[in-house]
Amino acid sequence: MYIQVNGQSTFIATGGKTFDTSLPTVVLLHGSGLDHRCWALQARWFAFHGYSVFAPDLPGHSLSQGEPLTSIEDMGAWLVAALDAAGVEQVHLMGHSQGFLMALEAAPLLGSRVESVMALATAAAIPVNPALIDTAKADTSKAADMMLQWGFGSDYQYGLSSVPGMQPIGIGQRIMTNNPLATDLEACNNYSGGAARASSLTCPVQVVLADQDRMTPMREGLKLAQTLGVKAQIINGSGHMLPMEAPQQSLQAMQSFIQTLK
Amino acid sequence: MSRSSYLGDDTIALHSGYQPESDHGSRAVPVYQTTSYVFDSVDDASALFNVERGGHIYSRITNPTVAVLEQRLAALEGGSGAICTASGMSALFVTFFSLCSAGDHIVSAAQIYGSTVTLLKHTLKRFGIDCTFVPINDPVAVANAIQDNTKLVFCESIGNPGLEVSDLPMIADIAHQHGVPLVVDATFATPYLCKPIQYGADVVVHSVTKWIGGHGVAVGGVVIDGGNFDWLASGRFPTLTEPYAPFHGMNFWEEFGPSALAMRIRCESMRDIGAAMSPHNAFLLLQGIETLNLRMQQHIDNAKKLIAWLQEQDAVAWVNHPDLPHNPSQSAAAQLFPKGAGSMLSFGVKGGREAGAAFIDALQLSSNLANVGDSRTLVLHPGSTTHSRLNEAELLAAGISGDMIRVSVGIESFKDIKADFGNGLRAAAKMADKLAQQA
Ligand SMILES: Cc1ncc(COP(=O)(O)O)c(C=O)c1O
Repeated sequence: MYIQVNGQSTFIATGGKTFDTSLPTVVLLHGSGLDHRCWALQARWFAFHGYSVFAPDLPGHSLSQGEPLTSIEDMGAWLVAALDAAGVEQVHLMGHSQGFLMALEAAPLLGSRVESVMALATAAAIPVNPALIDTAKADTSKAADMMLQWGFGSDYQYGLSSVPGMQPIGIGQRIMTNNPLATDLEACNNYSGGAARASSLTCPVQVVLADQDRMTPMREGLKLAQTLGVKAQIINGSGHMLPMEAPQQSLQAMQSFIQTLK
Repeated sequence: MSRSSYLGDDTIALHSGYQPESDHGSRAVPVYQTTSYVFDSVDDASALFNVERGGHIYSRITNPTVAVLEQRLAALEGGSGAICTASGMSALFVTFFSLCSAGDHIVSAAQIYGSTVTLLKHTLKRFGIDCTFVPINDPVAVANAIQDNTKLVFCESIGNPGLEVSDLPMIADIAHQHGVPLVVDATFATPYLCKPIQYGADVVVHSVTKWIGGHGVAVGGVVIDGGNFDWLASGRFPTLTEPYAPFHGMNFWEEFGPSALAMRIRCESMRDIGAAMSPHNAFLLLQGIETLNLRMQQHIDNAKKLIAWLQEQDAVAWVNHPDLPHNPSQSAAAQLFPKGAGSMLSFGVKGGREAGAAFIDALQLSSNLANVGDSRTLVLHPGSTTHSRLNEAELLAAGISGDMIRVSVGIESFKDIKADFGNGLRAAAKMADKLAQQA
């Protein structure tokens, strides 16, 4: 669906069902340079199993208009505005990579509206190599290649795909190349408030990590889990692009977490 | 540059799309000779049917062996996804069918494979889809042919059988200026010689029956989604950007973005038309792909030697190949095909049609048959076979003359190809003499 957020047309993927504010809402937040499509194989399950799905494209990304947001704090505030615009009250926030940082910033603003937070392939801080940011500024396509080569685990580098016939690296490359990757990476790099935000979360939380993650290395994710006081769930054989690389295992982790909350 | 793998092409050809499976560690890609797949549970089945998860349901739609071939071809061409089909013709059909509906229009190169001409000119017309044929390297003609209802521009990267190279960057620019994608049949080129997506093509189709399979043992096709075309911005593609009722109103563009076309073909054409590739054919074609790059180099090397040799022969009236200076598309060939513009060539023998027939009948190594891209050398007289349904004017527009002999140069030892053609030319010369005496 398209909604207006701060006067800009904004795309929210709803998993193929009409958005219904009366159902529990799962908010799926994409990572740097990506869009709602990284959740393609989770969103539909939630939408067809009793949840409403709210998976936005950030401003200036893919189907959403507007200038890209330059800080994680702005992204958190923007998410609150987007949820308000859609009339959403209670939310389960699930963020991949940068999407989790955004959830951390939105959480205190949303207060008791947050039912739970889930972190996938991420950490409390995501420092980015300055050379990658510079490359992204000069040539997004080249930076996307660097990220995807680094970001997908070994099986996907060998052309495996959970959707028969598709090439997820190729799909990611097209999406990232057309999105404001440099702005996202800079926002991640400049963000330092994650650990403090994480330690003040009071709702149920869960952390899911990928053993081949080279973008947000697993040891950083394990530190985050420690800060949050939870035992991280580790998915073997996947790289950083967890929701795309291990969609079924990611979904199972998301399902079992959300179902324990009932 | 649009890519979908960071492995080298030789590695992709051998490995992409498959890692040894966990049950038995089979190093070769197994043949999943099965029609159907057991669901874990009722929930699992409904998730698969509702595209909530990826996986296999029924081999008309997807099959694990076919999927390896699809992913390997997508990686080789640098596309976002691929759909394999029962033949090259069905790959073309599902592409046109997925982008066009009744009342729509296609702009196509005039010099293309005969059955594709028939498909565009007669078959699709019965369903209300019109086609305008243009000299594809004439930018004004291409631009003028694009109408409000045009859904795609189509060409072959090397035209069959006229051997004209399409100036892909120029044609892509014109198509894109009009909000229309460029669909390229790259059968004669293979990704070893030219990757059309790098030059602006939006969809690449192959008859994998030909060089990609390479051994003349299996018919097959593939559609590769380039993933770069913005179907929504174009405003011309309701099949991709509006809800599709049979899948709970799925919007392919919103849901899949860069793989929207591939997913539409999967969900609609493979289900409703069912021109599926068999797992066994996929396996045979995978054996071919493994050596594609090695074979193509030998094809090219032999073609270059044969061209040079034919040009020196008295019995030969003319020789055509895109790399030759008199070929009108030679500059495009030099730009797009640095390794050489394919292993198809054509030539005319002195003495016309009858001498041509004498040439073909005298060959032993080379096979007279209606195929191209076998590892063996093949010859054919198009005017009396593949293009026999075309009238004189259409033949001319398709770049064919009555004396034309089409050669698909194989990878045999060159000395033996030369000896075989030598015998053929002697028979042709004899026939030419006889004809001259009669006259
Ligand atoms: C350029 C081209 N495209 C498509 C086809 C059709 O392929 P198939 O025979 O696999 O259906 C051919 C067959 O010769 C061809 O030469």
